Amino acid sequence: MWSLILRRLLVAIPTLFLVMVFVFILQRMLPGDPLLVMAGEERDPVVLEELRKLYGFDRPIPVQFLIWLREVATGNFGASLRTGAPVTELIAQTLPVTIQLAVASLIIALLIGIPTGVLSAVKKGTWLDYLANAISLSGLSIPNFWLGIILILFVSVNLRWLPASGFVSVFDDPVEAFRTTIMPAFVLGTGLAATLMRHTRSAMLEVLRLDYVRTARAKGLLESKVILKHALRNALVPIVTLSTLLFGQLLAGAVLTEQVFTIPGFGKLIVDAVFNRDYGVVQGVVLCTAVAFILMNLIADVLYIVINPRLRTT
Amino acid sequence: MEAGVSAPTGDVLAVDELTIRFDGHGVDLVDRASFRLGRGETLCLVGESGCGKSITALAVMGLLASPPARITRGRALFQGEDLLSMPRKPLADLRGNRLAMIFQEPMTSLNPAFRIGDQIAEAVVRHHGVSQQEGRARALDVLRRVRIPAAEKRLDAYPHQLSGGMRQRVMIAMALVNRPDLLIADEPTTALDVTIQAQILALIAELQREAGMAMILVTHDLGVVAEVADRVAVMYAGRFVETGPVDAIFSDPQHPYALGLIGSLPSLGKREGRLATIAGSVPPPQRFPAGCRFATRCPFADERCAREVPPLVETSTPGHQVACFKAPLEIHVGGLAA
Repeated sequence: MWSLILRRLLVAIPTLFLVMVFVFILQRMLPGDPLLVMAGEERDPVVLEELRKLYGFDRPIPVQFLIWLREVATGNFGASLRTGAPVTELIAQTLPVTIQLAVASLIIALLIGIPTGVLSAVKKGTWLDYLANAISLSGLSIPNFWLGIILILFVSVNLRWLPASGFVSVFDDPVEAFRTTIMPAFVLGTGLAATLMRHTRSAMLEVLRLDYVRTARAKGLLESKVILKHALRNALVPIVTLSTLLFGQLLAGAVLTEQVFTIPGFGKLIVDAVFNRDYGVVQGVVLCTAVAFILMNLIADVLYIVINPRLRTT
Repeated sequence: MEAGVSAPTGDVLAVDELTIRFDGHGVDLVDRASFRLGRGETLCLVGESGCGKSITALAVMGLLASPPARITRGRALFQGEDLLSMPRKPLADLRGNRLAMIFQEPMTSLNPAFRIGDQIAEAVVRHHGVSQQEGRARALDVLRRVRIPAAEKRLDAYPHQLSGGMRQRVMIAMALVNRPDLLIADEPTTALDVTIQAQILALIAELQREAGMAMILVTHDLGVVAEVADRVAVMYAGRFVETGPVDAIFSDPQHPYALGLIGSLPSLGKREGRLATIAGSVPPPQRFPAGCRFATRCPFADERCAREVPPLVETSTPGHQVACFKAPLEIHVGGLAA
């Protein structure tokens, strides 16, 4: 297993390099100049020139890239052009927010997706199965931002049960954290629950017709144990992998939901940075997302081996 | 321990007119199958693939998936209780306890995610409410009984770490751990190497004698039948065409199909002449003839055979029954078998 991890980490290096190249080039291709904002109303050419020199934007783009590469390699991710705050600090502030949201979303997705998936597989072809499928299809087709806005309207504005926006860390105030996180997590979680449900259903259907399920029945085990122990344990193998990948997606892809609920998370950080042409921040955040994704993929691979005895080397 | 070769006292299992239909098929895939099984007795269900042997065995265990299978008729009295009409829970209480089954495919019949010892112990814990510890102790004990080398180590092995023969031993161990009164073995050696087949079969036969349990052995291997059976039931296209003591079936087969089957057995057929075969193949269920289902392949069939279903009738040998209008065949042709 260690050789697998090592191999994956080695492969990650060129991947990350490519990510860096792309984000760097794409960003420079965007119209707009971050320095125009900084130079103020008059846009004094002398000041602009000075700023350009100060930030190294007067150099050729490949040179700029190499400088960034060198800085990143030594652990320096630069600072925000707008606020001057170090990129690492911005990430350190926003990443935990998004992680809390992602964990909550995944929990909700698993709590909904797996039981309904199991149920619709076991009750295949009955009205329960069709109902679960219909709900999951609507879960897949309802856009997150729309569901978010509707929830805010009903739960926050009309019923006044939960705050419409904001964020509290679970480590500061668990109750308030629950109140601020539950709605956006529900919005994100239901979308994923639909995916999980469908995968759980098909994995269960696959497993339920296998011989060892019949063996479990032949032992006299009750149907609940046959399904929840013998079948589900094997059906979960692909589900665990999927969940890990979904978690990686959540870290990067909560942009819209974070915007709707004005959560100061990772997604909001990168959107603001892109709009402001805050090069350093965009680069840092994208790089961090790429690392998170690669890590999640690696964890998925490792988990797959851990929960699958056949792949474990003894 | 009484060896129940003949006339057992009190049936362990009595199946009456078991009839099974599958949704989407307009025909009974098992049609009024009836048989009895005494204590310690071995009944071999013989026939070609798809003749309904396995379905019959699974139906008795209550393991047929329904839908699509539906048992439309019949009873299966196990020690006096009807397995077919029994509610799920009491039936599950019997299964793996007094009634056990070994399957054809040892490679896929064990759960890949759990250790061997735990999978066996589970059956003990389920039926005897003992601790996991005690369950594992009994699992170890039964693994030794099925002669698995280094049994202690195997307790913690996963199925994929064992060979096919070893896995089948584990399956046998699992079936026998609660000392059942009836063992149903559905082609337990078909998937194994020939050398291993003999070992496994000898093991099953020996354990059966030791425990005095009754056994239904589903097989299409007549060599096996000759070795282990007390009684034989020959199935063709979902019907029992001939049943009786193993000697009677082998020395004096009455049904043309049984005759062909025995005749096609190279080791038993006399060296004179060619290997006998049965012309044609089993028709698909939709095309089963209305009368005797063997009529389309039978050299003796006449109009009545095509029209009427021949009932199982006792021959001159006690306990030997045949479902053929033309039996005994000697009337028609002399020395056809050789």
